[in-house]
Amino acid sequence: MASESVVRSDPSGRGSLRDRIVSTNMHILGISLAAVSLGMMGCALLEALTSRRDTAALVVSAVVVGSAGGALWYLTAPGTTRMRQVFATVAWTWILTTAAGALPFVLAGTFAVPGVGFVEQLVNSLFESASGFSASGSTVLSDFEAPGRGLMMYRQLTHWYGGMGVVVLAVAVLPFLGVGGLELITAELPGTSSDRLAPRVSETARRLWLVYIGFTACAAVAFYAADGFSSLYDAVAHAFTVAATGGFSVHADSIGHYDSVAVEAVAIVFMILGGTSFTLHWRAVTARTLPYHRNSEFRTYLTVLSAASAVIVLIVWLENGLALGSSIRAAVFTVVSLGTSTGLSNATGPGSPADYVAWAAGAQLILVGLMVVGGCAGSTSGGIKVMRMRVLGLTMLRSIRYTQTPRAVIPIRLGSETVREAVVARAAGFFLLHFLLVLGGLLAVTSLGGDLETSLGAVFSALGNMGPALGEAGPTSNYAVAFSQPARLVLALLMVIGRLEIFPILLTAAGLFTSSYHAATRQGRHWMRFATRRFQR
Amino acid sequence: MSWGLAAIVDAGLVLGIATMLSGLAGIGDDSSDATAFACVGAALAAVSALARRRVAPPERPTAGRVFAGIGLLWVVLVLFGAVLYASTAALPRLDDALVESAAGFTTTSLTLLDGAEASRTVMLFRAATSWVGGLTAVLIGVVTLPSVLRSTSLIGYSTGRSGRDLVPSAVTGRRRVLLLYSGFTAACVVAYLLCGLGVTEALVVGLGTASTGGFTGRPDSLAGYGGAVQAVAGVGMLVAGAGIFVIWWIARGRLRPLWRSQELQTFVALIAVATTAMALHRGVGVGEAAFMATSAMSTTGFAVADWTAWGTAATVVMLVAVGIGTMMGSPGGGLRVMRVRLLMASAGGELRRQIDPYAVVLVRSDRQTLSQRALDRLGGHHLAYLMLVGVGTMLLGVSGVSLLGSVWGSVSAVSTFGPAVGEIGAFGLLDGVDSAERLALVPLMIAGRATVPPVLAGIGLVLGWYRGARRRMRGAFQPVLSRRASAESGYRDG
Repeated sequence: MASESVVRSDPSGRGSLRDRIVSTNMHILGISLAAVSLGMMGCALLEALTSRRDTAALVVSAVVVGSAGGALWYLTAPGTTRMRQVFATVAWTWILTTAAGALPFVLAGTFAVPGVGFVEQLVNSLFESASGFSASGSTVLSDFEAPGRGLMMYRQLTHWYGGMGVVVLAVAVLPFLGVGGLELITAELPGTSSDRLAPRVSETARRLWLVYIGFTACAAVAFYAADGFSSLYDAVAHAFTVAATGGFSVHADSIGHYDSVAVEAVAIVFMILGGTSFTLHWRAVTARTLPYHRNSEFRTYLTVLSAASAVIVLIVWLENGLALGSSIRAAVFTVVSLGTSTGLSNATGPGSPADYVAWAAGAQLILVGLMVVGGCAGSTSGGIKVMRMRVLGLTMLRSIRYTQTPRAVIPIRLGSETVREAVVARAAGFFLLHFLLVLGGLLAVTSLGGDLETSLGAVFSALGNMGPALGEAGPTSNYAVAFSQPARLVLALLMVIGRLEIFPILLTAAGLFTSSYHAATRQGRHWMRFATRRFQR
Repeated sequence: MSWGLAAIVDAGLVLGIATMLSGLAGIGDDSSDATAFACVGAALAAVSALARRRVAPPERPTAGRVFAGIGLLWVVLVLFGAVLYASTAALPRLDDALVESAAGFTTTSLTLLDGAEASRTVMLFRAATSWVGGLTAVLIGVVTLPSVLRSTSLIGYSTGRSGRDLVPSAVTGRRRVLLLYSGFTAACVVAYLLCGLGVTEALVVGLGTASTGGFTGRPDSLAGYGGAVQAVAGVGMLVAGAGIFVIWWIARGRLRPLWRSQELQTFVALIAVATTAMALHRGVGVGEAAFMATSAMSTTGFAVADWTAWGTAATVVMLVAVGIGTMMGSPGGGLRVMRVRLLMASAGGELRRQIDPYAVVLVRSDRQTLSQRALDRLGGHHLAYLMLVGVGTMLLGVSGVSLLGSVWGSVSAVSTFGPAVGEIGAFGLLDGVDSAERLALVPLMIAGRATVPPVLAGIGLVLGWYRGARRRMRGAFQPVLSRRASAESGYRDG
């Protein structure tokens, strides 16, 4: 892990209380771990008040993670950061927070099923944690009744932390962050760039979290009312999921457990809003008029969801022989769930109308297309994002016009705004890297034993932070059954890469590779010189 | 005079001669096809020769007209072949004839013909359609498109100055390409004859090798042949996939550009990597793996084993190889090795720009820097290729093909490979595929063969019509709208 390792005194000059190591990445990691530990402690309290099965595991985890986070926070100070360090900070924070987040599952023995060794338990815990923090929603949990309510709520909470991002949270609580604050948010938040909601970066991060908390509260109230005020626990748990466009549920059959049109309608509305830019939500709250209909990306997003729903309703109705009402209910929920990269399911069991694995190939292919596209930029959803897809489509159309008028200068416009060429190049590069990662992931997962259909769906799903995939990893199935241990680790890595939108992890890996290469070269030269001298003597 | 018409006349002449020769070669076979094909071929050749005197291509054709002409040319060729097939006993249904003709001209290794039942004339005509299709594709790629796309054409970046020597002018370039392509085909046929194949069989397999058509007339492709035939096919596919520039360098004895070509190095390296990856699977021999890797990278479609049963990872390697495809200037299809190299370089540059947003990142190939316009076109081409594959996958999925079969079928048809995992199978036999599903493959094969620019031009044409229609609609409603607006402002003022 890269750090500046410079020791300095308190810059205020009022006499230092302690000397601190200037390291932005350590400092942000410390805050992130401390925040996660607070969540663990809250869930431990819930566990103690309800089932009491996993209280000790949650408390111990909270203490361990909190101590590590607190120590890092206390001993380090943020400093100026360069772009390479920004990416390294985000990547390492996510990797280590995900690893720390697996601790409660390991200590509680959530995956300690007969016949499953410790290594597999560890892999499953890491997978579940990665799936949670990346807001994917793929699960290896088979028995949903075994863990206590606190641990299940912690599982939901990982989604919530990951949805808006632990780094954004850290930036929000930091009183001062040097150059790179906005870059940190941009590197973590899904989308092409981050809009400043306030002159100060920390204020922007704070406002984003504020609107996120408000959104979650509204979703919880709506779920609670739609379910007939029967379970506040369920309502809060699913509110965490829809706000983060995650996919975890406290029930094995997800939203299908309720078999209620009202609950599904609430989920649909909040999933659509979760897939919308949170900047837009902030403006909706603060402005007098609603800004949604004026946003061209939002209009495209709704058009895509509506068109896909209409086509799939037709396919499911005509080809699978379902009743029209069931077709509409199953298709609209599934399209919104996968189109917003949430991954909740209203299937009541294998083979039920909403079990899309049983649908015709054409319908499943449209769903895969939705997995690739994802929601709006600046939202909590995954995928390539509607805005990037629009830019890419316009780039393609521009290349057509270039062949007809080779000397023309043709800018790309979204609505009334001209898109900068740097953004166009970045979108094209992102798409290309996404495509290469799909191919690489597919090769890796199939080499590790997955069948082609399931692997293809799982790789798209993991990179798009979707959750359920195709074939054996469908909405009513489980990743532990569909994939081998190493394949699950590959998919967990893809989830984190997809959540951070590729660049941070790839650049950090490239940086590590380059520095190791340089170190090895230096070492090699040293040994060569040494050997030459010995030989000359 | 339109460029498309001139191209159709030229192609008609070559096709007429090929059809006539197929008919003449079939005389003596107990079938009525021979006479009919010989007569139709002679008539087509005569009409084309006469028309050639009157039809001259324009001096400076516009890009739009050339792309439209390319699209039209492929459609006309496919329709001509379909009519001829439908007149035979082998493929009496027009839809089957259309599929077979499209597969032939687009050099896709898919077939409905049974070599044991079809006449010699039909078999030779099927092989000839692949050969004509391959020749047309090379001429368009090497002679026509560079003159239209000018600096944004990637051929120059692929071959450098030594490649430009092949086509000093359109007329010389066309003649040289025809000679090289014919010479290479003749070499393949002679090699097969030396391996002990009969004349008809050597011709069918030789034409299939040189054109990357992959047609053999046997239900098990090359699996039933001896090792020598398979070795000749392997080398032939490698050269055909490497393209006309490599043949030109070999023919001229110029080893320096051959040795220094980065595209060729990548092509060979990719085949080696794919071979190794497939050979790691249990029960797969290195020879079989190397053959199938070459077949996939050259998009020929020959098979020596049922590779669809080799294991999931091996089929993914095949899918990637088919998607990448051949080198520039080859009759094969795919995204092309050159484009993949440049796309990788472009992705690397984008990663660098993340760290330093103001960095000027240059994408180079063979010591030449790619212009921004060429990079834009490259990105557009890549997106359009993926869009084509995506639309094809949807089309196949909706027509009833399984999910995997749709993905594989679309990639394979657009890359003009043919065989696919799923309903089609390792040997490209369409017997087990429904009629609607077969027909869904036809536009994909044509779009893949016509290459992306004409498809893009087609999309541009549709968009142009749409915009024109919208303008006209607005124009029609303008008086009503302006009346209403003035009435509303009148109310407000009042």
